[in-house]
Amino acid sequence: MAVAEQTTSVAAVGSTSAWRRYGQNALIILDSRVGTIGLAIVLFWFFLALLSMVWTPYPPNASQFEQNLWPNATNWLGTDHLGRDLLSRLMTGAQVILIKTRLPGGIAIPGGVAIWGVFGSLVLGVAMGLTAGYYGGWTDQIIMQILDALIAFPRIILYLVVIAALGQGDWVVIIAITVTGAPGVARLARSLALDIKNRDYVLAAQTRGESAFYIMFREILPNARGPLLVDAMLRIGYAIFAIATLGFLGIGLPPPDPDWGNMVNEARSYIFNNPYAVLWPSLAIATLVIGLNLFADGLNEETSRYQR
Amino acid sequence: MLLVSLLLFFMVEYGRGDVTIKILGIESTQAQRDSYRNQLGLNQSPLVRYFTWLAGNDWWLKDRVGRPLVTVYNPQTKEPEWWVRGNAGELLRWQMDGGDLFELVRQEDGSSIQRPAPDDIWTTDANGIPEFWGLNNNNSAVRWIRGEGATIQVRTKAGFREEGDSPVEFIPLSKGLIRGDPGESLRTGRPVSASLPGRIQKTGVLAMLAFIVVMPLALLFGVIAGINEGRWTDRIISITGLALTATPEFVTGVVLILVFGIWLKWLPAVSVFFSDQSILELLSSWDSAKILVLPVITLTAVELGYVARMTRTSMVEVMNSSYVRTAIIKGMPYSRVVLRHAVRNALIAPITVIMLHVNWLVGGIVIVEVVFGYPGLGTYIYDSAIFGDFNAIEAAAMVTVAIAVITRIIGDVAYVLLNPRIRYA
Repeated sequence: MAVAEQTTSVAAVGSTSAWRRYGQNALIILDSRVGTIGLAIVLFWFFLALLSMVWTPYPPNASQFEQNLWPNATNWLGTDHLGRDLLSRLMTGAQVILIKTRLPGGIAIPGGVAIWGVFGSLVLGVAMGLTAGYYGGWTDQIIMQILDALIAFPRIILYLVVIAALGQGDWVVIIAITVTGAPGVARLARSLALDIKNRDYVLAAQTRGESAFYIMFREILPNARGPLLVDAMLRIGYAIFAIATLGFLGIGLPPPDPDWGNMVNEARSYIFNNPYAVLWPSLAIATLVIGLNLFADGLNEETSRYQR
Repeated sequence: MLLVSLLLFFMVEYGRGDVTIKILGIESTQAQRDSYRNQLGLNQSPLVRYFTWLAGNDWWLKDRVGRPLVTVYNPQTKEPEWWVRGNAGELLRWQMDGGDLFELVRQEDGSSIQRPAPDDIWTTDANGIPEFWGLNNNNSAVRWIRGEGATIQVRTKAGFREEGDSPVEFIPLSKGLIRGDPGESLRTGRPVSASLPGRIQKTGVLAMLAFIVVMPLALLFGVIAGINEGRWTDRIISITGLALTATPEFVTGVVLILVFGIWLKWLPAVSVFFSDQSILELLSSWDSAKILVLPVITLTAVELGYVARMTRTSMVEVMNSSYVRTAIIKGMPYSRVVLRHAVRNALIAPITVIMLHVNWLVGGIVIVEVVFGYPGLGTYIYDSAIFGDFNAIEAAAMVTVAIAVITRIIGDVAYVLLNPRIRYA
């Protein structure tokens, strides 16, 4: 299997069809049972989020039922303290995390808050980490000192400070996730760059007289993408966790769209009457994070197998 | 640490927005805000305020006031106060009344008597205006202008009061963080140093209890899962661990409250402290100590999964290594192989990681304390951050950073002690 995979990818390099090569590489996740389960969970939530864009059982923000109903035939998961359908709210809650980001001015762009946040930390972290690892010396020292200072902060305090600074909004949460995630990515990228920069192909590129920028992003980065990708998957999990936590503290994603963490927080006061309103969003957060973790585990298993 | 403090200060500085709006409310007028900002000394440049926050300002304000500044413990409020030591050794502050300046002389019991200030204290500034730098009743170094009391807005419990006879410039006195004075909390109006130690103590006890419960359990589960790699024991432990790690603290906390606090009524659902009950009194009897049970379990649940998974990975690696295989092949009892050969090597990685993981624990503690209403460092940080109480956030955050740095050093030391292959000369 491993040999066959290797030959196809070598052949694909020749045929310049980079996308097909990526597609085949992506399929290796199905070789891992854990990874497949994880992927299924994640896709399940993606599907619900997409579905909720066009259809939910009831409008997610309309108080049209009795309050705090337990699960029944009309409202499959029950209703919350304002008489809103929990299933609709749960589905819509997945949107903001996974597939849309609301920007100021009423525009929504594709890609959820968690995904953009991780993307941001990936870009920032990779840029800093590669620079530090490739140049070494003083550059490395300064960048790593700054990163160490950021890492020394407990995350929650960074979140609180960023949100206190910029107010509420989807983009603020994205920035918070970016700032807290970037140091970790940068450390990983740096260690990979330190390893890769002594390989022959990098030396060859240096001899050719390529610019540092070209070497960092065209020679080192593509060869470091495996571990970075696995890390990014884990980070999306952390990001969802963080969004939920912020929502719970009441400083996360703003209304009107429902937010899972905030749903738990609001329903907490009515837990005597209706434990389900707390239970469903909690389960949603937990399953999605678990799914991403399993997916990352599977990805890690498979990519490291091929690297060996 | 210095870089961290710089980063923290300026993030909060530019991040908090106009703190006076938060204190005074959105209804306050611009004049009220400006006046209050002046009284808080927020009109100084950020760099000056940073150094004041870090190292204090009494050492240079001393020259401006012209006499030594001392802190004296006030027996009534139980808080330290700033006074100026006069020429005859008496302790002085100043107050203006009807345009005339009076000296307040401190008495032994903390109260003071008033007497007219002598004329020779006034100096003339560059524009020929007679001025005087002294101390007011609010622990600020202030500039008075002779015969002209400024009008300021004073915040009282009932609202705003306009007050004449005031100084024109205020610089709150501070010893600075590194000398143990983080300044005054804007939220409570008390020195941060007065409320912080109790908070730290309470959180410390909570974290310590959680640590004591978590460590043996997590390492035990991790080792059991590790030696049974791939079997159902391993599967159960791994999946439970993953589920616990992936469940946010607040969910675990709320579920525990629901089950033990509400349905079974075994344990109190919130952590209520009597006003000045110390943590030691609390621990002295089970009746009062049981409010700690649910917070500790919540923290345990979150940490348990992570540490157990970490230990498992490390254990699996060690169990597949050639020296363990050799030990088994040479006929050693299996238990001896595990306990003597494998565990010791397998614990190196988890213990280091656990120490680095303290940052995460701090985050968890903030949430757990908010969920249970536990009056520790976490709720303090949270409340201060929501309020924009910068002195309090900065001091509390520096405490957490210090803890993180110290535990990292402990982690490094533990790594060296446990791993005989690493020896620093």
